[in-house]
Amino acid sequence: MIQVKHLNHHFELGKKEKKTRLTVLENINLCVEKGEIVTIVGKSGSGKSTLLNLISGFIRPVEGEIWIDGKEVSHFTEAEFADFRLKHMGFVFQNFQLIPSMTAYQNIELPLILKGLTEKDRKQITDEMLETVGLTDFRSHYPSELSGGQQQRVSIARALVLKPALILADEPTGSLDSETEAELLTFIKQLNKDYGITFLIITHDEEVASIGHRTITISDGQLLEGGASL
Amino acid sequence: MKFKDKIRFIRQNIKKNKVRTFMTILATAMGCAFLIVLASIGYGLQKSVVEDTLEQQIVTQIDVHGQEDDNGNYRSLTMEDVKYFEEMENVKAVTRRNQIRQMPTFTLEDYQTSVAAVTAHFPSEKDSGLELAEGRFPESANEVIVGDHFSEYLALITEEDIYDEKTGMIKESFLYQESLLNKTVEMTVTDNDEVEHVIPLKIVGIMEEPTKEWLQDRNVYVSNEIYTEVEIFTGTPGGELGIEPEMYDATEEAEAIDNVKVYADNLEVVQSISDKLEDENYAIYSVVSEMNQINMLFTVAKAGLILVGTIAIIIASIGIYNTMTMAVTERAPDIGIMKAIGANPKTIKQIFLLESSYIGIIGAFIGVIVAYATSFLVNLGLPMILEMTFGEELPEGLQFSSIPISLVLISIGICLLVTIVSGLRPAKRATELDVLKAMRREF
Repeated sequence: MIQVKHLNHHFELGKKEKKTRLTVLENINLCVEKGEIVTIVGKSGSGKSTLLNLISGFIRPVEGEIWIDGKEVSHFTEAEFADFRLKHMGFVFQNFQLIPSMTAYQNIELPLILKGLTEKDRKQITDEMLETVGLTDFRSHYPSELSGGQQQRVSIARALVLKPALILADEPTGSLDSETEAELLTFIKQLNKDYGITFLIITHDEEVASIGHRTITISDGQLLEGGASL
Repeated sequence: MKFKDKIRFIRQNIKKNKVRTFMTILATAMGCAFLIVLASIGYGLQKSVVEDTLEQQIVTQIDVHGQEDDNGNYRSLTMEDVKYFEEMENVKAVTRRNQIRQMPTFTLEDYQTSVAAVTAHFPSEKDSGLELAEGRFPESANEVIVGDHFSEYLALITEEDIYDEKTGMIKESFLYQESLLNKTVEMTVTDNDEVEHVIPLKIVGIMEEPTKEWLQDRNVYVSNEIYTEVEIFTGTPGGELGIEPEMYDATEEAEAIDNVKVYADNLEVVQSISDKLEDENYAIYSVVSEMNQINMLFTVAKAGLILVGTIAIIIASIGIYNTMTMAVTERAPDIGIMKAIGANPKTIKQIFLLESSYIGIIGAFIGVIVAYATSFLVNLGLPMILEMTFGEELPEGLQFSSIPISLVLISIGICLLVTIVSGLRPAKRATELDVLKAMRREF
């Protein structure tokens, strides 16, 4: 599903004359198989979020290749990557990243709108998704009217609504209490089992890391263990 | 993303900042209304002037005054020219008139007047579209037509003071009251020796009132045979007095025609006939050439007014630019989320451009309504104000402001263009937003 080859990345810091280079990732090689739940763990600043952002196409690698679903995506244009994300990827963020002026229903519906589906189809799929995440009664609620767990469920529903093959999650339980976290992890495992969705989860939480078929440890921009597939 | 959904998005976004959007729309509407009202004055005055000119003249008529020779001198027109004009393509008729060069006296029973006698070629006059108020066109040499005002000068022969002191006109009681049709009037001409010659003429038609209000037509229109009879009697060209027949031997002068008018088949061909005649050095005048000059003048004036009005819209566009820039900044996190989940940058750009266009369209729509209302009030109120201020009555039908559909379309077009341009940079900024920075609200 995902193949990362000889990936190097650094950030340039400072202004023109006093530019310094901060190496974030060094020669990363990684393989994630279809249907796997892979968790990436590491300390803050280890480069795990950067790796996820590179795979997501939010930033471009300085060196190396990223293959997703058989396509080399690191040279995609912004528009090509946007289309690719819409069709193949779903995202779950630590702080949910819901649009505050939209209801739960409208947030889940958004990817369907971007894909150009008819209102009738959108309604049917969104209603199903609300039911799947158990938020049918909260469809008209704005994010500010939902609990953290409910917001994350909306976020997952939005990520799932176009039935992507891959879901990338960045600290998905970071803003949740332990009870809600456990609920969410069960839900992720269920989705993986029921729909065969591949999950790549970034976390520093051991509890979360434990749900993965495989855990990759990253430290100071280097992969310490788990880079190879099962 | 479907267009309908983009519009829904825009409406949702606008709702978030109702007051700011309303004020921007208001500024655009005022700019658009200002542009339309300003330019409508040019359109209104042009319409009034053109209509006035067209009402007073026959639009297919071309007056030909003479031809310039190689030395730059003008020569009078002759029958040869008339025949040439008649053979031209798209010419309906060529009328030619000559005035008898003395003022004959016309007597009908006990009434008398001294007015001009003009020869006319009646078949051409009829072909040109000349219509009579009463009667018919002459069919024989001694039949004549009289002008509409002829009867107002045909006064009783008396020693009494026949003129009204106030108006300067002949009093009603001294005027010939009966119908002139089929009456015989005697035309008296004299020669250099003051010998009189009387020619009986039968009035068979009365001309229509001239289109120009200030014109009076009291002429008697006689046939060419009468003209020749007068010339033979006096022995001078056109019956002119004060020159000796033996002194005058200018054949060319004798053949000269005072007044030649060419009538085109329709308005569309007037310009081509005029151009052809001008190319051949004929001195001409047609309402089309006057229209061209008027239209050229007003086109320049209107362009100037539209330009000034456009400045108002450009000023309003600063508001749109500001609103859109604020919208991009405020919505940066939302844009980031949309981009993260797969919104194409083109879609984001289109949403913002549509939003600025939406403001432009609503503004232009309101502006058009305001402009029509203002135009109506200007046309209603300004004449009253001017009449009260200057105490003079304005010409009837004078329109200060006119808003043709073309002006509305031009204004909406300018408004839309300016609003789209002012939304371009904010829209570009939205597409260039860094997804991660936007989601982290680092703006």
